[in-house]
Amino acid sequence: MNPPGSLRVLEENEKEHLATPIVGPSIHSDNPQERIQARRLRIAARLEARRREALGEHLDGKESEEDQSKSYKQKEESRLKLAKLLLCGTELVTNIQVAADIREVHRRAEEEEIKRQRLEKLENEVKTSQDKFDEIAMKWEEGKQKRIPQELWEMLNAQQVHCAGLVEDKNKLISELQQELETKHDQYVKDLKKQSGDICLLLERMEEQVKNVMKTFRQELQYIEKAFEVERQELLTSNKKKWEQALQAHSAKELEYLMNRIKKVEDHEKQLNKQRIWDCEEYNTIKIKLEQDVQILEQQLQQMKATYQLNQEKLEYSFQVLKKRDEESTVIKSQQKRKINCLHDVLNNLRSKYNKQVKQFQEENQSLTSDYKRLVMQFKEMQKAMRHFALIDDKQFREIWLMNEEEAKDLISRAFDVDRVIHTHHLGLPWTAPDFWFLKNVGPISQQQRKSATQILEEVLMEAEEEGAEEAASAPGSYLDLPKQVSAKTTRKILMLLCDESGFLIESKLLSLLLPLDKNECYLLKLDAIFSALGIENEDDLYKLVNFFLKYQAHHSPPSQERTSLVSPLEKLDLQGEKEGSLVDREPQEKQPPPSPRLIHPNDVLKILEAFVTGLRKPRDFRAPVKLLKVVRDDSKDSEYWKALTTVIPATTLNLWDALYTALEKYHLVLTQRAKLLLESRSLERQDTELRQLLQQYLDAKINSELQAPPTQVFRVPTK
Amino acid sequence: MEETQITPSLSVPSWSSASTQDQSSTAGQASSTGPQPSKSCVVPPPVKSKGPSPGAGVRRMRRIIAEDAEWSVATVPLLTELCIQHIVKNFQNNPILKQLLPEHQKKVLNQLSPGLPLAVTANLIEDENYWRRCCTQRWPVCHVDEHGGSWKRMFFELHLENLLKHFIPSTTDPEVILSLLPLCRNYVHTIRVDQFLPPVQLPPPLRGGDQSDSSSEGEMEEPATGHYQLGDLVAGLSHLEELDLVYGVKDCGMNFEWNLFLFTYRDCHSLAATVKACHTLKIFRLTRSKVDDDKARILVFSLLDHAALEELDLSHNLIGDRGARAAAKLLGHSRLRVLNLANNQVRAPGAQSLAHALAHNSNLVSLNLRLNCIEDEGGQVLAHALQTNKCLTTLHLGGNELSEPTATLLSQVLSINTTLTSINLSCNHIGLDGGKQLLEGMSDNKTLLEFDLRLSGIAQESEYLISQALCANREAARQRALSPSHFMSPATAKGPENLAG
Repeated sequence: MNPPGSLRVLEENEKEHLATPIVGPSIHSDNPQERIQARRLRIAARLEARRREALGEHLDGKESEEDQSKSYKQKEESRLKLAKLLLCGTELVTNIQVAADIREVHRRAEEEEIKRQRLEKLENEVKTSQDKFDEIAMKWEEGKQKRIPQELWEMLNAQQVHCAGLVEDKNKLISELQQELETKHDQYVKDLKKQSGDICLLLERMEEQVKNVMKTFRQELQYIEKAFEVERQELLTSNKKKWEQALQAHSAKELEYLMNRIKKVEDHEKQLNKQRIWDCEEYNTIKIKLEQDVQILEQQLQQMKATYQLNQEKLEYSFQVLKKRDEESTVIKSQQKRKINCLHDVLNNLRSKYNKQVKQFQEENQSLTSDYKRLVMQFKEMQKAMRHFALIDDKQFREIWLMNEEEAKDLISRAFDVDRVIHTHHLGLPWTAPDFWFLKNVGPISQQQRKSATQILEEVLMEAEEEGAEEAASAPGSYLDLPKQVSAKTTRKILMLLCDESGFLIESKLLSLLLPLDKNECYLLKLDAIFSALGIENEDDLYKLVNFFLKYQAHHSPPSQERTSLVSPLEKLDLQGEKEGSLVDREPQEKQPPPSPRLIHPNDVLKILEAFVTGLRKPRDFRAPVKLLKVVRDDSKDSEYWKALTTVIPATTLNLWDALYTALEKYHLVLTQRAKLLLESRSLERQDTELRQLLQQYLDAKINSELQAPPTQVFRVPTK
Repeated sequence: MEETQITPSLSVPSWSSASTQDQSSTAGQASSTGPQPSKSCVVPPPVKSKGPSPGAGVRRMRRIIAEDAEWSVATVPLLTELCIQHIVKNFQNNPILKQLLPEHQKKVLNQLSPGLPLAVTANLIEDENYWRRCCTQRWPVCHVDEHGGSWKRMFFELHLENLLKHFIPSTTDPEVILSLLPLCRNYVHTIRVDQFLPPVQLPPPLRGGDQSDSSSEGEMEEPATGHYQLGDLVAGLSHLEELDLVYGVKDCGMNFEWNLFLFTYRDCHSLAATVKACHTLKIFRLTRSKVDDDKARILVFSLLDHAALEELDLSHNLIGDRGARAAAKLLGHSRLRVLNLANNQVRAPGAQSLAHALAHNSNLVSLNLRLNCIEDEGGQVLAHALQTNKCLTTLHLGGNELSEPTATLLSQVLSINTTLTSINLSCNHIGLDGGKQLLEGMSDNKTLLEFDLRLSGIAQESEYLISQALCANREAARQRALSPSHFMSPATAKGPENLAG
């Protein structure tokens, strides 16, 4: 069994040797040359492998064809043969083991049989000997009963004989067994010898097998090699044949080509000769022609030379002329230069002067502007003061008016009272209160004037300027009569928005002028310009605009709580106050609280304006230019009013009153007389009561009791 | 003369020119030529004397001066060589190896003598060449392949085996082996010991007569006799995979005593403990050691649930049915792949238990029951088990008194089973009819490669036909092996056919 294994190992070793690449230069070597070489080899190997891979499929195809060739057959054959050989050999070798096995099996079987027989025999022996022993033992009992010595002796002898027989039997058995053992021993020795012989045989066979296998393997290898050799030879010869055929074909073709070439060369030579002759002729003709041309051209050259000389002279003359002119021009140039210098000086002087003047004027301008500003300030203050005074005057006037009116009305009411008393009490007539317009009038009679839009604007803005302290008062009691539903603040914001968004309505010139101005003024002027562009002229228009804004906002955005909630609380309060105050004379549609202009998106402004302008384009009467002076009260109606007040009581009633007066005078006289008389009677009564009291005193005095006959008992007061 | 002298110098031009330049420029380049001190000193002094003639460039190249009688071509060896020689000489006292350059290491290793003490070399030298020299010096025949292809491993394994073989309990110092342990623990993978010497007994001749007659029972009563206890050694070897033991004595010649071949209970217990403790053990062989049922049971129970064990060989022992039952239990509780119970006394009951275990086993690849006596009863049961088993590839039932009934069942198995590759039924009484039935079974089988039916009483014709079928199977298997891509398709194609059949 072992040899094939070892052989296989050998084969494998060989294969491994073949498989491992020849140990060449190593990459890990210390020598750089060697390393380089190693890398080169490696790269080459890789390229080779890649090439093989690329060609692999083709090669495979070819190989499969060649597989059927002789070498393949030989290989298959030898493989099969060798496999068979190996199989047979191992069988041959193992046959010995198998034989030994079966011998062992047989031996075991026999042994078992013999053992069984032996055991049986021994058992039988035991039984028989036991019987005999029992017999002997029985006889001992018998012997004890025997009294006669001869009998006893006989019996003892018999017993001895029996025992000897028993022992002999046993001994025989032992000897038999020992003999068996001996034979077994011999058998064992024989077996040992046989086994050693077997082992020898096994070894021999193994060796033989190894040799055989080696031999056959070598042979087969040779056969295979031969087959390959033959195949190679065949291939070589066939390839050679092919190669030779190809060579022959090649040489034949070469010859053919050569002949063709020679023919062609001859043709070309002929053609060349023809061409040469033709070229020569042509050359001659061209030469003659060209010579003629040369002659003509030389003649022309002569002519040209003559003209050239002429021209040269002309040019020289003109050159002289030009030189002279040049000199002249230089003189003129210098003169001009001098002039230019002079003028430069003058220019410089003028420039310095101009600068100076500019400075001067600037200074002046500055001082003037400062003056102007101061004056404007003063004027404003004056205006403010004036407005203040006007306000105060107005107030005072109003107060005085009211006072007087009140007084007059008091008087009138008293007069009415009196009249009524007279009528009702004295005359017994029904009294009707007279109804006059002036009775209902409270305060000074005034005619509201239309203010121009700009004025309003100014006021609005001015007010914004004076924000703060006045803010609280600005709402209802403000001297600006703003539209009731819109607070000044809202208006202002809308206007600012308008101003910011519709800058395009203002002329650019104006804008540039506005730049240095104050913010408010700037706004004012801008708004002025915008309004003039929009056609807004007076207060109403302005309010319309503002309302339009608010309404637009209200219409174009869904009414929501959010919006109102966004309105500042103060403003809301204001709005509410205004609403309450204005409930009487406001259209219902205006009752909606105007939303905050804050929510008007700057982008909407233009749309609103457009809508407004189209809405406003209605025929309007052009009123006279607005008066600049504002509060000149006309007191024409005042005197009327007052006079009317005086004539509350008509003359008829006055006459009535006069007549009544006289009658009442008389009645008064009578009444006074009666009063006098009444006084007299009263004094008399008093005297009477006094006297009565005196009498009572007397009566009640203690003396009366002491008296025997008190007067009280005597006389009884009849009254009691 | 001069021309002939110049030619050799040309072969080493750089060498000589460098040295002569050293001479001329004196100390200027002394530092730069540091690594070549030995070379510069080789230059003969006459050059110095002739040196002053600088113009003659050719003369500079000279190495040999005819006038100098003392000059010789033999150069002094390199300092490195000297150092290496010195290291080699004093290697036993001062082992320097790892610090050297690789090429120098190689030189040193080539020159070291194989007789150096193991304490020095064991853990220091890895070089296979050195150990190869050691092995070839000690043993004439060396099979490296049996030792995993490593000469070092082979050296240590054989060395250890040698020590164990000649260890005599209570006379040899156990330190002899244990002292080797730290040196060889990483290299020994296999222990193969085919003899264990018994302790020396002073009065062996007195008992000689008795023992020759009486059976082994007499010696069984002696508890003191024990062989070397492997426990300590095996525990120390961290890579041990194979344990191959024979408790017996070799070459005893005329000193034969039954006493010498004795595997006592004490040995058995210690061996069992040793095997149990060794978790790396893969192969365990205990042959020709008179292991009977009880001892086999002790061993097998210690091997239950062993993590690594793959092969168990208890051939040529005295194991009966109870031992076989224990082995069957082991099949269910381990990852055993090879079980060898050849030449034992297993009978039908033991075979039954083995068959029962085999029916549900998926690890066992090879089962050997050669030269037992399982008879038809056991053979039939085993054949039944093979109908369900899908793992076993090799089955050896040679010399088991099998006959026709087993053959009929086996023929059924052959037509069903696709894993079995080798069956051995030699030396049985299968008979002519049995042979025919086996032939029938073979006709359906495509996987069986070996089927040994020698000396089993079947007709030559059927044997020939069976061998033909085997040949075809082998050819198919070879084709499959050659083209692994084709392997899958025929195997799958065959599967349903076989199932259908």
